[in-house]
Amino acid sequence: MRAVTQQPKTQNGAASSGVKSFGLEWLWQSLQDVRFPSVLECGHLLSKTLEVLVRRHAKIYVGELLAPLQKGDASLWDHSRKTPLFLTEPFLSQLPAIPAGSLSAIFSWQLFDLLPRDALAEVMLRLYLYLEPGGVLFCLLREPYLPKGAECQWWLESLTSVGREGEASKPFAYPAVTNREIERMIPKGSVKTFLTRSGWREVLIIR
Amino acid sequence: MAMLWEKKPRMGGGESLDSAPEAVLPPETARQEKPMTDNTARNLGSSTGTSSTNLGRSMVVKGELTGNEDLSIDGQFEGTINVKDHTVTVGPQGQVKSEIHARQVVVNGSVNGKISARDKIEIRKTGTVIGDLVSAGVAIEDGAYFKGSIEILREGKPVETPPRAHALAADK
Repeated sequence: MRAVTQQPKTQNGAASSGVKSFGLEWLWQSLQDVRFPSVLECGHLLSKTLEVLVRRHAKIYVGELLAPLQKGDASLWDHSRKTPLFLTEPFLSQLPAIPAGSLSAIFSWQLFDLLPRDALAEVMLRLYLYLEPGGVLFCLLREPYLPKGAECQWWLESLTSVGREGEASKPFAYPAVTNREIERMIPKGSVKTFLTRSGWREVLIIR
Repeated sequence: MAMLWEKKPRMGGGESLDSAPEAVLPPETARQEKPMTDNTARNLGSSTGTSSTNLGRSMVVKGELTGNEDLSIDGQFEGTINVKDHTVTVGPQGQVKSEIHARQVVVNGSVNGKISARDKIEIRKTGTVIGDLVSAGVAIEDGAYFKGSIEILREGKPVETPPRAHALAADK
């Protein structure tokens, strides 16, 4: 297992340059024979990510799943019950039309750290089913000792390095997700984890 | 804003995975061009010797629009736009629910529908696009909202498969 060292940050919290990612390196290595990969970006599509993926000849799908969670979009909750219920279907309707089993890679970033526990399994399974055989769901999951950073924004600085922006001041609303939990949610998938020194695990779920 | 057609310096770290696809960029993508500014967009019509049509703010149009000149939309349009060799510019107040076929499309306002542009599609920071983009070049300014898919047209010689990367230590 390799560790990733974090780059120094600028004053506004932005990473000054990309941080080497061994998870991404593994991902693109496993997709090296895929000539025109189809990729889903679950965060806000930044110009850098677009540029990197276009250079890799990817077809890109964009569905902003992270922003509503980071902003605390009230329309995604049913408050009529005693315990508020997260509305998974309206949440997933943010995704564009994607044929099932067609994606080579999904960049979910820290989506699973932001989702309520009740919705975790369903969202993860739905994303997993978009993958083609051999496709990879790339997640960043925080270690339990990292309580803040819910507002972070991530992008591809290059195919094998990530950029991050955010003051890491906003606390996470839910406990950290463990690898064991992921394995239980996707029993047929293969899970690969890369530890980093930044407090974020790079977890790859392979179909 | 980084434009896709700008030539980028190579990333440090000697990542063979990154450098490989760069070597097989289609000529259109690899060519170095100046990023388009507001003035560039405004002057496109005159520089190519064509006239342009403006759909004013108070205009609401439904139907099919076909033409042989640049089009600027500041009002509302619903239907199909087909100006294959020209530029469509959607102004900040413009609202388009339409399929757009053009040489170049610049979005400052709102577009809901498929955009197909032979040369490039640019979504400015005030722009909102929900739909599928098909073009030889796509640029999305940070701050713009986009939901849908992006497919880059590759003309000319077929793109070669990236050469195999080196074996990775991470997987050992």
